[in-house]
Amino acid sequence: MAINRFTTMAYSEADEMVFGNAKKPVKAGLDLEIGAGYTTAEVNYAPRPEAGETQEKLVNEYQRITKDIMARMVQVGFPSVVLETEHVQQMTNNPAWGAAVAHAQKTIMEEYNEEYGIKCALRHTPGDIREDKEFLGLRGDKMTVVMESFDQVAESGADLLSIESMGGKEIFDYAVLRNDVPGMLYAIGCLGSMDMGYLWQEIAKVAQQKGVTAAGDTDCAQANTAMFIAGGLLDKNLAHTLAIVARAISAPRSLTAYEAGAVGPGKDCGYENIIVKAISGMPMSFEGKTSTCAHSDVMGNLIMQCCDLWSNESVEYHAEFGGTTVQCWSESLNYDCALMNTALKSGNEKILRDLLMASDRFRDPQSYILAYDNAYKVGEAIVKDGEDIFLRAKNAGMECCNILNGSEGLDMTKFELGALAKATAEFEALTSESETFMSDCMEKYSAEVPVFKPENYGL
Amino acid sequence: MLIVDKEGILIRYNVKMEKSMTPEEAAAELYPKDELYKPIAEAIFEGEEDDVIEGLEAAIAAGKDPIALIDDILMVGMKIVTDLYDQGVIFLPNVMMSADAMLEGIEFCKSESGASPVTKGKIVVHVAEGDVHDIGKSIVAALLRAAGYEVVDLGRDCPVDEVIEAVKKEKPMMLTGTALMTTTMYAFKEVNDRLVEGGLSLPFQCGGGAVNQDFVGTYSLGVYGEEAADAPKMADAILAGADIAALRTRFHTH
Repeated sequence: MAINRFTTMAYSEADEMVFGNAKKPVKAGLDLEIGAGYTTAEVNYAPRPEAGETQEKLVNEYQRITKDIMARMVQVGFPSVVLETEHVQQMTNNPAWGAAVAHAQKTIMEEYNEEYGIKCALRHTPGDIREDKEFLGLRGDKMTVVMESFDQVAESGADLLSIESMGGKEIFDYAVLRNDVPGMLYAIGCLGSMDMGYLWQEIAKVAQQKGVTAAGDTDCAQANTAMFIAGGLLDKNLAHTLAIVARAISAPRSLTAYEAGAVGPGKDCGYENIIVKAISGMPMSFEGKTSTCAHSDVMGNLIMQCCDLWSNESVEYHAEFGGTTVQCWSESLNYDCALMNTALKSGNEKILRDLLMASDRFRDPQSYILAYDNAYKVGEAIVKDGEDIFLRAKNAGMECCNILNGSEGLDMTKFELGALAKATAEFEALTSESETFMSDCMEKYSAEVPVFKPENYGL
Repeated sequence: MLIVDKEGILIRYNVKMEKSMTPEEAAAELYPKDELYKPIAEAIFEGEEDDVIEGLEAAIAAGKDPIALIDDILMVGMKIVTDLYDQGVIFLPNVMMSADAMLEGIEFCKSESGASPVTKGKIVVHVAEGDVHDIGKSIVAALLRAAGYEVVDLGRDCPVDEVIEAVKKEKPMMLTGTALMTTTMYAFKEVNDRLVEGGLSLPFQCGGGAVNQDFVGTYSLGVYGEEAADAPKMADAILAGADIAALRTRFHTH
């Protein structure tokens, strides 16, 4: 698989983007088409820890989860659903375990599809286990295990293949705790993109061989780390303006999957997916107000604005008053989808999209940038230098700063403004030469970050 | 496109409640008056390692004892930073950069004197077995060092056996464990049970990611740390005589 960089926008203007419609819809699984005029819930779950003791226990747990979700879908009359299984480490480290789970889940989904005609698909997300105790080990034995896991789950029933890849994280963790914007740019925009290019060409190859879909990645390891450290309005761990700079930089990084053969739907926790959708035209999964079971954010409505799949991120499987957790959350997700699908069918989708966006637009610098109109502008900055992974990531960060500097209606604290001013100045002071930036960073971080191993990136 | 006035829809409480002083102004009020010490405190606040060393060199040249400088100015300067962090005036990255600068200063003082300073106590930190997410642990370790504690860092994905051995060997006043995932946090219970079996009793502060108070409350040595900044506060409380029950009363707020 070759890497084909995006140098143009898929949409001619921001207003063209809505939920449930993508320029390049994806057919997957059992009669499902994603981004083809309707939205679908994507239900995520985690087994209870004790279920991970043996393969048999784990398979039984996922069978219960799958039956519970499918049964609730039918009981409440929902037409489609996607299930996402994010592997616990045992399932990726032992590819046969992941395969057994995928097979068991798909068997149940096929029964429901056959009996009720419910459209459905199964996403499997092996863990990015490419590391040992001290160092990332992105290329080598662990990579072989990850690819074997993809191969086996694809063979056994998974329709959509995803991963939350870790490339660049060793530098990012160091940089984010030191307000080091060039470091974040190097980690996410350069190292992350390089690793994704390497990894996703291989995943796309497996998908092609097995006749399934190479779906997409997310910068969970970095941009979400920044978002979680930034936390709520009163948390004092990271300026929210820096968290959104990290997010903007993560868009060209996550875009790399689709340049290396993935076709969507992108992974749910990639809040950068709104920018990726604007550029690629591929369907995207999002999470927000219905992923509060997993984490808080400051854009729960807004992030739903252009979703194709609508997710709950993850919830541990156990009982609640309203059924099991997966039943409760799948029902909530699907009612949201029913509302969006009603808007689509009645021609009111842009009104609902704008209501969702407007309700959170000024809640935070993060939501302000991820509002679809501003996200589109960040996308334009990326494709302007689409062939250069450093320049396009720098452009994304700078455009994010420019939009915030010229924002109207968004109140920011002095601290947020100070961090924004510092980031803006640092971007402006950066070289425009990719090679210079890469070699300067290589020297700096090789000296400062003991766990950085350039060979992980073919450097 | 629809733009709606935010009034009545949301409130950015961080803007509404913002302190009037800038961090620099707030810090300036707290710097020591001594002309030898003030530049060192300023350099720690700014996170400028070279300036810290320069200030220490000047103080030593003026006759100050290098080891005494650790308590007399490096810890004093760092406390200004952590106090401002606790008050919400500055953010975590400032603390991390200041801690880097202060630790560099401590190493310099040690090398100048050839002696080691007395710390407030020893704390063993680790990330749960099976978990490689260590940013939370790095924050905890930095904040503990910044508060004057000696930290023995066992790293990430730390086997239970290794934790038990380290507690036996180092005899720390507190053990901390961080985990991002619900699937790995169960290692904490195993650590707890093995410590209890071995007759070892010490506060075991656990936090991070999906770890919650309900879970930590199920094992006898566990104390839930919701924020990384709770770690030095918990250590200070232990020094002041708090036992596990007292720590739970103070830190289990849910």
